[in-house]
Amino acid sequence: MGMTDTQLPRFQVFLQETPDSPFQDVGSVHAPDAELALLNARDVFVRRPECSGLWVTPVTSIYARTDQELAAQGGRDDPDEAGGQIEESYIVFAKQKSAGSQVMLGEVLAASPKAALRAALENFNRVKAFTWWVVPARDITRSAPEDTESMFAPAREKLFRQSTDFHTLTAMRSLQKEPRGLGAGR
Amino acid sequence: MMENKARESLCRYLLASGDDELILGHRNSEWCGHAPLLEEDIAFANLALDEIGHAAIWYTLLADLRRENRDSYPDRLVFQREAQDFRNATLLELPNGDWAFSMLRQYLFDLYEMVRLHRLAESAYEPLSEAAQKISREEFYHHRHTSAWVRRLGLGTEESHRRMQEALDRAWPLAFQLFSGPEVDDVLVYSGYVPSAGYLQEAWSEAAAEFLEKCQLKVPADASGKRIPRDQHTPYLNVLVDEMQSVARLDPEASW
Repeated sequence: MGMTDTQLPRFQVFLQETPDSPFQDVGSVHAPDAELALLNARDVFVRRPECSGLWVTPVTSIYARTDQELAAQGGRDDPDEAGGQIEESYIVFAKQKSAGSQVMLGEVLAASPKAALRAALENFNRVKAFTWWVVPARDITRSAPEDTESMFAPAREKLFRQSTDFHTLTAMRSLQKEPRGLGAGR
Repeated sequence: MMENKARESLCRYLLASGDDELILGHRNSEWCGHAPLLEEDIAFANLALDEIGHAAIWYTLLADLRRENRDSYPDRLVFQREAQDFRNATLLELPNGDWAFSMLRQYLFDLYEMVRLHRLAESAYEPLSEAAQKISREEFYHHRHTSAWVRRLGLGTEESHRRMQEALDRAWPLAFQLFSGPEVDDVLVYSGYVPSAGYLQEAWSEAAAEFLEKCQLKVPADASGKRIPRDQHTPYLNVLVDEMQSVARLDPEASW
């Protein structure tokens, strides 16, 4: 087709609701780079108050495999071609509910994305997932603890974003009770 | 117990602060649906919400000082005043122009807020210091966002750099109006209510020049905005106020 994609690179966004909950995939943003991706992620995804951490990573850094693909390969992934690389930290995400999203399970050390997935399947062997993602930790840009005040705290006071603050139903009911006709109230 | 002179000066200060936020917030909101990127469309809408929220805070403090109703007075200020009675700085009422102008203008204002609110947080007038602390959290984020864009556009392509420089040439002289006028008078400074305009201007222009230089943008040697009084406006403000008030004026007694 020869279509040129003029969009900026895409970054996957992971959000942590409370300091004790796992990071979860909430969607993606297009941005020129990781720094702006993090800021944009905050504007696009942190609408409700429950956010204590935000991560972004280029979508190209995600190595993904579905359980069907893994089953077709006999439950294991293709072996790597090159060996002898340095091990580094990979973050492991899994999607365990068909209607859910990728949720962080933990970390593994590995020398490549494929090795990381193998390690993940071993480490988290009790987990049944639809899809597995592994991401090099160094490719993740993270919000800092000191960002909480300016990035996340303000949302807590913006009650007008909560559906409990929409008085539409009450207003409609009171409007329906009033006798109205053409010219009424003018 | 505040003296009348100080109270009157503080009222003028709060009105100008509220009007700055309201008018700029309104301009921000005009990008909604028109921004070059979906993500920035949302970001600018958030910025607009924040600025208008800040305006509400300043207007509420003003209502308290004037012993008016906290809920209805801000609405009256916004929806029932004539354009000539607004006290915002001229820079903020100018049309959005291109993305570069809007971003650059927002950056200059965000830096002004950062410098100003930092000092206002120490105000001897407690409601003011509390408001400043609350607002500065959001302004910190605004500044982070807009400075990131100014840097990228300044150091970007030939076109983005040219548009940024043009924006700076236009906005820089006008920005000095933020630091002048009777709204910031000696009574307020001596009472420890607000920081001195001279100090703010120096801190702001130094920080801005240093940052803009790194973005390879040349700062003009023009501070002529200082001479513009805040009761003087462009025809652009009439159009803005007309539109902003158009729905409310259809039925001023309607309940929202």
